[in-house]
Amino acid sequence: MNATHLTYIDWLIMLVYFAFVLGIGFALKRYMRTSNDFFLAGRSIPAWVCGLAFISANLGAQEVIGMGASGAKYGIVTSHFYWIGAIPAMCFVGIFMMPFYYGSKARSVPEFLRLRFDEKTRAVNAFSFAIMTILSSGISMYAMALLIQTLGLFKGILPDAMIFHVSIVLSALIVLGYIFLGGLTSAIYNEVLQFFLIVAGFLPLVWIGLRNVGGWQGIKQTLPASFTHSWRGMEHANTNNLGVEWVGLTMGLGFVLSFGYWCTNFLVVQRAMAADSEESARKVPLIATIPKMFFPFLVILPGLIAVSMGSHMTGASSAAGQPAGVTATASLPASAVTDMDHPHGIVPVKTDPITGKAVIDSNGQPVYNYDLTIPVMLLHFFPTGILGLGLTALLASFMSGMAGNVTAFNTVWTYDIYQAYINRKGSDAHYLWMGRMATVFGVALSVAAAYAVTGFNNIMDALQLVFALVNAPLFATFLLGMFWKRTTGHGAFCGLTIGTLGAFIHHGLTLPVGDAVGIHGGWIHVVHHYPSDMAQNFWTAIFAFAINFIVTVVISLLTKPRPEPELVGLVYSLTPRPVETHLEWYQKPSTLAIAVLAVAVVLNLIFA
Amino acid sequence: MGLDIRIPLGLIFLIIGGIMAIFGLATHGDAALYARSLDFDINLAWGAIMILFGAIMFFAGKRKKWQDTPADPRPWEKGDATGKAPH
Repeated sequence: MNATHLTYIDWLIMLVYFAFVLGIGFALKRYMRTSNDFFLAGRSIPAWVCGLAFISANLGAQEVIGMGASGAKYGIVTSHFYWIGAIPAMCFVGIFMMPFYYGSKARSVPEFLRLRFDEKTRAVNAFSFAIMTILSSGISMYAMALLIQTLGLFKGILPDAMIFHVSIVLSALIVLGYIFLGGLTSAIYNEVLQFFLIVAGFLPLVWIGLRNVGGWQGIKQTLPASFTHSWRGMEHANTNNLGVEWVGLTMGLGFVLSFGYWCTNFLVVQRAMAADSEESARKVPLIATIPKMFFPFLVILPGLIAVSMGSHMTGASSAAGQPAGVTATASLPASAVTDMDHPHGIVPVKTDPITGKAVIDSNGQPVYNYDLTIPVMLLHFFPTGILGLGLTALLASFMSGMAGNVTAFNTVWTYDIYQAYINRKGSDAHYLWMGRMATVFGVALSVAAAYAVTGFNNIMDALQLVFALVNAPLFATFLLGMFWKRTTGHGAFCGLTIGTLGAFIHHGLTLPVGDAVGIHGGWIHVVHHYPSDMAQNFWTAIFAFAINFIVTVVISLLTKPRPEPELVGLVYSLTPRPVETHLEWYQKPSTLAIAVLAVAVVLNLIFA
Repeated sequence: MGLDIRIPLGLIFLIIGGIMAIFGLATHGDAALYARSLDFDINLAWGAIMILFGAIMFFAGKRKKWQDTPADPRPWEKGDATGKAPH
């Protein structure tokens, strides 16, 4: 890939963005007077701001780069990560779980586990979550530095060998700067800024891209049907692009993984907990579902457009002729070779970073670098000026991914690890100081993690694996804890640890077809081959959830439950329902949730 | 919190949109530059839309006055029974 030649206008736009990001941190510094201000944003943020931050915190590398890559690799079937794998879970957390998180006055998800269960259950969650946030933040940082290096943004400004390292250090310093100064509020405000910039940067890309390939109809005429239908071939793993059948998809992704992520992950729940009232907190995830539903058109569609360019279907559908506008593909690079089953359009071939030669798979076929789909689209369609905006949007997505994890980490570290096990009697000023120090070493650990992250072609696969191992068993703990008053602390602890162990064992006993034994699985002994990485991840989650559920129920029945009065506000059947009598029917969170779910069903039907 | 996010949000869109629109005006008709965007001056058009959005956000944020004096006690600490921030 050739170096990107940016002009002063592109650099100026990026500099304006960085100035604002740090400026917000400075502007908020004077409000950071207590640990409550720093970690919980004083619980004073309006619902719409928290709602946008709620999805923006998740809008890191895995969303923009990963979803664009998956759109190019698998097609519109990637939308399952939104319409099946996010919307129902976001509605559930808003309607049913936020009253417990917000109403219990817990300051974090691990602290909620302490209130509901016991100290040891909180410890398991706090430590595993802290590791996960650092890993996620490191992945974002690594992906961003690699992208800057690949695009050659600093080419001619810095020596080639320094670009990766300078990118890591610069991104770390900026995130550190604005969180150190303004805490969670600064992160939330910047996430809102990043959300709008990402929309502003990608909307024109989709518009020009669609014009180029003849709109959605043009894509449908150009690509195989498996790329433009999200439910076709889902009856069997071998007949769809994801390599997973509908049971694994709906149970693994739609239930276990997505509920495990959206309902229990403090990274996103923290944004809702910063809302100015319980009613607002319930609305936060629901408000977030509205843009979330339409994000596939912003991040997956560019992937489909990219592979449409220069790919031509043969047979019946091509008889209709090329759609108007596809003539622009005449200017495509030589790598835009046609492949009917696996079109790759303008997606570049992966090159060895040392030799610079194209990477070839075991069948002698070139390996395509799908993670470069979105950047290549930006470079292909955007002239200078708006190119600066597009690259800013890309950088913003990485920043929000990093910052979300760092703010979640500093809170969990300070409240659930430091205050719980190291220094219980510090003053509020001391914990505020510790929060700032946690931000510093959280960023430092992320840098260390960034250098440790290698080995996956698709970032999302790596993140799904981490979520499967850590998050999947967790939802069973919350589900039972919130909705079955008989659940005990011992049951929750045993279920959680054995469920996580089960996830690791399942991963060690299975391997996706075509992968080598190691980080992809099979490191104990291969007893089963899955058709794809995705299928393995989904089924790992299903096994982990089931093991946790069963173990928690059995141990709970064998141990003594807590007295019911202690569980008021923590368990559904013992907690008064939120008062909604002052709200009109259309203002009620449940009405919004039903409307959102109905739209999600319609979107599934349209693209089925 | 004392700073209304709509103000910086509006400002950044006004500035970036302004840069793009001015650059778009200066390069209007440059066929070589806009060949990538299918011969459409996207800098001018999208810059103008961003300016409009920025202006709406900025003035919506400016309508609130209390955040200009973030002295103690803050508005939501003044014994507001609902506990709501005055956004």
